[in-house]
Amino acid sequence: MDAGVLAQYVFNGVMLGVIYAMVAVGFTLFFGVLDVIQFAHGDVVMAGAFVGLATYLALHALGIAAPAVVVLVVACAAGLGMALLGAIIARWLILPLRAAPAFNTLLVTLMLGSILRELVRLFYPNGSNPQPFPRLLPSASANLGHFTLRLDTTLLIVTGLVTIVIVNLVVRRTRLGLAIRAVAQDSETARVMGIDFERVVLVTFAIGSALAGFAGVVYGLYYNEVNFDIGLLLGVIGFSAAVVGGLGSIYGAILGGFLFAALQTIGSVALPVSSAYSNVFAFAVVIVLMTWKPTGLIAEPASERV
Amino acid sequence: MTEAARALEVEHLFAGYDRADVLVDVSITARAGEITCILGSNGSGKTTLVRSILGLTPPRRGRIVFDGADITGLPTHRVIALGIACIPEGRKVFPKLTIEENLRLGAYRETDEATIRKRLGEVHSIFPKLEERRTQLAGTMSGGEQAMLSIGRGLMSGPRMLLIDEPSLGLSPLFVRQNFEVIRRVNEQGVTVLLVEQNAHQTLAIAHRGYVLSKGRVVAEGSAAALRDNEEVRRAYFG
Repeated sequence: MDAGVLAQYVFNGVMLGVIYAMVAVGFTLFFGVLDVIQFAHGDVVMAGAFVGLATYLALHALGIAAPAVVVLVVACAAGLGMALLGAIIARWLILPLRAAPAFNTLLVTLMLGSILRELVRLFYPNGSNPQPFPRLLPSASANLGHFTLRLDTTLLIVTGLVTIVIVNLVVRRTRLGLAIRAVAQDSETARVMGIDFERVVLVTFAIGSALAGFAGVVYGLYYNEVNFDIGLLLGVIGFSAAVVGGLGSIYGAILGGFLFAALQTIGSVALPVSSAYSNVFAFAVVIVLMTWKPTGLIAEPASERV
Repeated sequence: MTEAARALEVEHLFAGYDRADVLVDVSITARAGEITCILGSNGSGKTTLVRSILGLTPPRRGRIVFDGADITGLPTHRVIALGIACIPEGRKVFPKLTIEENLRLGAYRETDEATIRKRLGEVHSIFPKLEERRTQLAGTMSGGEQAMLSIGRGLMSGPRMLLIDEPSLGLSPLFVRQNFEVIRRVNEQGVTVLLVEQNAHQTLAIAHRGYVLSKGRVVAEGSAAALRDNEEVRRAYFG
């Protein structure tokens, strides 16, 4: 294969990996602090993309057009909006269900995901159909043989990686992060240390969901199109990435995200069949990996939780 | 006794899990500046008493008052905020956090970095090993070292009152002696201590007053000397 073509595949794969890792980190954070799977998380990504899109249209209507300002406001609206949604989900759905069997949380969040999807489909203007997402980033590009280095994609990759690194630093280096890790290991002893358990849970859900909101905007800016049902596949991919990496470990989630993107890319270019089989291939390999290493690639006890 | 002399008062406490009461009409007082011990065998309700005070097992009936404030049923972090610290049963260090991170969690409610560093220094001077191994994961330490860490962590908040649940559990006699000596010294610096133990001998040697729990009820109380001479305590503990 031509080196330029190969580089192009790697470049596009890294872009997908960043999006998947952003989603997977949320799953792993939620599981870390509360041992729950938030199945509506993929739809939070979708909701973030639509909040970003609606914010863009509002700014457009107000006549604000400076691209840097627009991108910043769109990203912040999606991030803050989803942080709020995540905290609401934790406060009124996840925490009250703590005493109930884990199946209830699973079912309730699955239903919530359907509600979010249907609300966007029904109430967003023409929501049943894909919506164009504006190109808000500089579209310059450089051609190096068969490899096109696009500035907008590069910016998205860098921004996505930076947000993941920031979340990781918060968890590892701050007082709040210490509280999150303590709750993840032993929530009762964490409370005896004077940690407000419920607050830590709400903040963790806010952080993970804000990351999902950003991921939604990154998705929209990359594909220039969003649809009410993108959360379904993104949720399953993010969840598989977190599980195959080692649920509860941030590094595992990042690894899993990039692994899934790599598998999709390999599935679409290296297989003798149509590229439409890329997801079939990627999920099949993940299933094999999960059978081989049930606790994830970065498995306990080598990894620390969260 | 003046109000200020009573650091902690538990009045007619009933507590338990599901339907069964583990504690039945338990009343105890821990005087300020003293070591008060709660003796009792396994299943006598000692740990449930500690959990009730901390708000981990909210009582069904009764009242818990700390320094004049009613703390019955208060969320745990708010009880801790009033100046109570706990060295829990089984030590409960965070295994995948470093020694220093564990100690810092003990001072979680303290936000002033200078104060935290000062307290780290104090704990390090009591247990020099904790300084040498600052960056080691707590889960990789021996049981005796984890006990040091748990005690050090309990001191990090600069508490006015310390609840200590079975510090001797699973430790060699040498470690037990050392730890009891540390508890005595901490108390001499003015910290009120509620010490929950099975090991009556060494506990009564450092305690001022005590209570004996059996099947969830207080069956004896008095000064440490009186408890040592008490027939029932003798039969139960000193054979």
